Parts: sequence; structure tokens; C-alpha cells
Amino acid sequence: MILGHFRLNPIEVNAFIFGCPETKEAVLVDAGEWDQRLPQFVEDSGLSLTTIFITHDHGDHVEALPEAAKHFGATVISGTERPGGYQVDRVVGHGDEITVGNMSGRVVDTAGHTLVGLSLIFPGTVFSGDALFAGSVGGTSTPENYERQLDNIRKNLFTLPGDYEVHVGHGPSTTIGIERDHNPFFV
Amino acid sequence: MGDSYEGQDLRGQDLSGKNFSGANLTQARLSGAQLPGANFSGANLYQCYLDNADLKGANFSGANLEFAVLGASDVSDANFSGANMKRCNLVGTKGHNANLSGVDLYYSRPGNADFQGANLTGANIERAIFRRANLANAKLTGTTGNANFDNANLEGVTQ
Repeated sequence: MILGHFRLNPIEVNAFIFGCPETKEAVLVDAGEWDQRLPQFVEDSGLSLTTIFITHDHGDHVEALPEAAKHFGATVISGTERPGGYQVDRVVGHGDEITVGNMSGRVVDTAGHTLVGLSLIFPGTVFSGDALFAGSVGGTSTPENYERQLDNIRKNLFTLPGDYEVHVGHGPSTTIGIERDHNPFFV
Repeated sequence: MGDSYEGQDLRGQDLSGKNFSGANLTQARLSGAQLPGANFSGANLYQCYLDNADLKGANFSGANLEFAVLGASDVSDANFSGANMKRCNLVGTKGHNANLSGVDLYYSRPGNADFQGANLTGANIERAIFRRANLANAKLTGTTGNANFDNANLEGVTQ
């Protein structure tokens, strides 16, 4: 796999570019801020960025969506029709597949931080948006949403193999095993 | 300049006492590796995976560990003096008596970590999350910044 990590804007949102090593097709996960490092990484890595995946509709994750979509000419995929007011090309939900080159990914429900929230899973790699962080979870607006988020993480992420790497919306990456065994919100 | 291991997969290997001084280990995978007594002084470990590794007594002085993943590793008696540990994953890390003096722990994630007896004198802990961490008898003298210590064990801490 080819992975580019970009820490963007003052509240430290992460964006990731994940590429198929065989076909060089790639996906951008979240677009919080337009940054020249994004197209530079695509160019330097010889990638073709064909897809943009939005984990959830919060401004810090979608603000640069129009510019990124225009620049790359990519298909935009999200759990909602108009994240940040931008009309996406494809709306997906729990269980749907997303193909990037020869890599097949799966969308799972990790709502709670937002009413619609998705994580994207490729073999060995998870993009969890603001649902699961290293040692923490995303903020929620009600106790019901908090319980929903923890339940979704338990059912849809913690059932993955422990060595799966998890790339999160804010802060350092982690693994399923670390979080399942040590995250203080679960253990 | 040291050797380059950028992006290399060294998971589970026995590298006890190996000298990585000044090496480039950016995005390298050393999960579950045996690295007691290894020397990482001045190395670049940006976004390196060291989770579940045995790092007892390792030397990280002056190393760059930004975005590194040390969750569930054992860094007891390791030396991190002067290291950059901004945004470092320390979830569930065991670090008995580790030397973290003068370390930059900005936005790091030591939740549920066990740093009893560790020396954090002069460390920057701004926005670090020590939720449920064990810091019994740790030295926090001269630390700067506001950190989250929710449900942490601060018994015997020196401030």
C-alpha cells in the first residue's frame, strides 16, 4: 500500500491518501483543508487520485471538498448527499464496497459523533474519521449518541484483527489491538 | 546521517541492542519487535509503528517520535530525554521509571499508560490525554501546559 498522511489546519485534522501499489489508483480520505502537499504527494508517488471518501459531514473534514474534487476530477463518496453543501457522486452506507484499483474496501457504520458517520476498511487498514481515536473517541451530543458510537465501534471495528492499523481524524494513528485492549473509554 | 529503514517491515524481529542512532525509520513497522537496549538516539521515527515492542532500556534521546505508535509497548527504563514526542501514541504503554525529562508530549495520547516512577521533569504536556494513566510516584516538576488527567493515578507524584 501507499499511504500519505497530512496534518491540516489549526485544529489538527488528518487527511490520508491511500493508493493501490499495482494500479496506482488512490483515494483521499477527508478533505479538511486544501494543501499543496496533497497534489504534490499524488504526483511524486505517481498516483491517479480517482476517489474522495468523506467519513462524516463536519466542516473540518469537508471544507476543501470542492477544490479537491475539481483538482483531481475524483468521484466523491460519502454517507450523506451534500457534505458541506457539495453534491457527492455516490452515497454509501454500512456494508457497501468501495474499490480503489485492485483494493476492495468496505464501509461500516461508526455513527455517534455525527448522526451519519462511516469508517472505511481495507485489508489491514482502517480509516475511522472521528469515531475512534488513539486512546479516545469522538465527542457526542447526547448520552444515546455516545452509547451508539461505542456500540458501533465494538461491533464494526473491534471485531477486526488486532494488527489492523487505524488512521484517525485527529491525532496519532493506532491499531485495533491497542484500542480494543487499552482504550480507556472501553477498558 | 544514519542508515535508512524508511517504510521497511521489521515486525517481530529480534533486534536487541541494535544501533539505530541517527537512522531514518519514517513509517517503518517494528510492531512486536524485540528491541531492549536498542539505540535510537537522534533517529527519525516519524509515524513509525513500535506497538507491542520490547523497548526496555532503549535510548531515544533527541529522537523524533512525532506520530509514532508506541501503544502497548514496554519502554520501562528507556531514555527519551529531549525527544520530540508530539502526537505520539502511548495508549497502554508500560514505562516504569522511564526518563521523559524535557520531552515534548504535545497532543500525545498516553491513555491507560503505566508510567509509574517516570521522570517527566520539564516536559511539555499541553493537550496530552493521560486518562486513566498510572503516574504513581512520577516526577512532574516543571511540566508546562494543560493536560487531561481524568481518572489517572497521581499518588505520590512530585510536582
